[in-house]
Amino acid sequence: MRPDQEFASRPEPPSLEEINPVTHERPDTDALVRERLRANADDVDALFVLAALRLRDGDVGGGLSVLERVLRIDPRYPGAWIFKAKLHGLLGDREAAESARQSAEAHEP
Amino acid sequence: MSPPIAPGEPVFTADTVKLKVCMAGEAAVGKTSLIRRYVLDEYDDRYVATLGTKVSKKSLIATDPLTSKLVEVHTILWDVMGTRTLRELLKEAYYHGAQGILAVADLTREETLGELDAWARSIRAVAGDVPTYVVVNKADLEADRAVKESEIDAFCHARGWPWSYTSAKTGRGVEDGFRHLVDVLLNVRADSLK
Repeated sequence: MRPDQEFASRPEPPSLEEINPVTHERPDTDALVRERLRANADDVDALFVLAALRLRDGDVGGGLSVLERVLRIDPRYPGAWIFKAKLHGLLGDREAAESARQSAEAHEP
Repeated sequence: MSPPIAPGEPVFTADTVKLKVCMAGEAAVGKTSLIRRYVLDEYDDRYVATLGTKVSKKSLIATDPLTSKLVEVHTILWDVMGTRTLRELLKEAYYHGAQGILAVADLTREETLGELDAWARSIRAVAGDVPTYVVVNKADLEADRAVKESEIDAFCHARGWPWSYTSAKTGRGVEDGFRHLVDVLLNVRADSLK
């Protein structure tokens, strides 16, 4: 399931104003990601963070899938190749991790 | 201090130096605003939480302490999210190859100074013992000051971190803060190449 499809099937998230009506403090990251992806399913910043949220929730494979989407949209997204190497490493795929590290050397700003 | 140069990371030529500098600090201390002021000389009072990774570049001319000649420094500024959980998950992605840290505290929130220890640990776990320069931001809000200057000084002195005040809003100290860090990094580089 693509991230945008997943969020499209969920209840309407609160707006940023509803999350932080007065304080303008940092909004909840999950809610911010949902809102950004609802507005633009190809929002590469939101997708990058979504990959991290998947990892936080223990879904390494799901994180990797989202990250691969990030890199299809923007192969030079800062830090994405190194993050990909980490996720491959967590899954025990050393060869893929090393390949991602080499891609990082070629693509990082 | 060990050299901050990881194999394959910095690109040095005869007259250019490329430096990767990572911002550090809690959410809403003004990391993004400082970069915006430094790179674009702009300020926007609205708070927009950073999502993902933002990279900005600024070039400046400095004197290379190794040769005493002018050198063009390309500073690559990595702005990151101030969320602690994600900082740990993304630390390799953010800090791989970092050569310096600009650590940001908020003059009006005392806890943001102490939290810099955790940020520095996280960065150094990935990038090694890279130089850190602290800026205490929001200096325009002196009336709301929450931490004494002596406390800032003691905190930074104990860690060997030089520091100064900045205000992204007024521009006070911003250029000098970044410039100071670049000078420190050039000195460390020169020491490592001697």
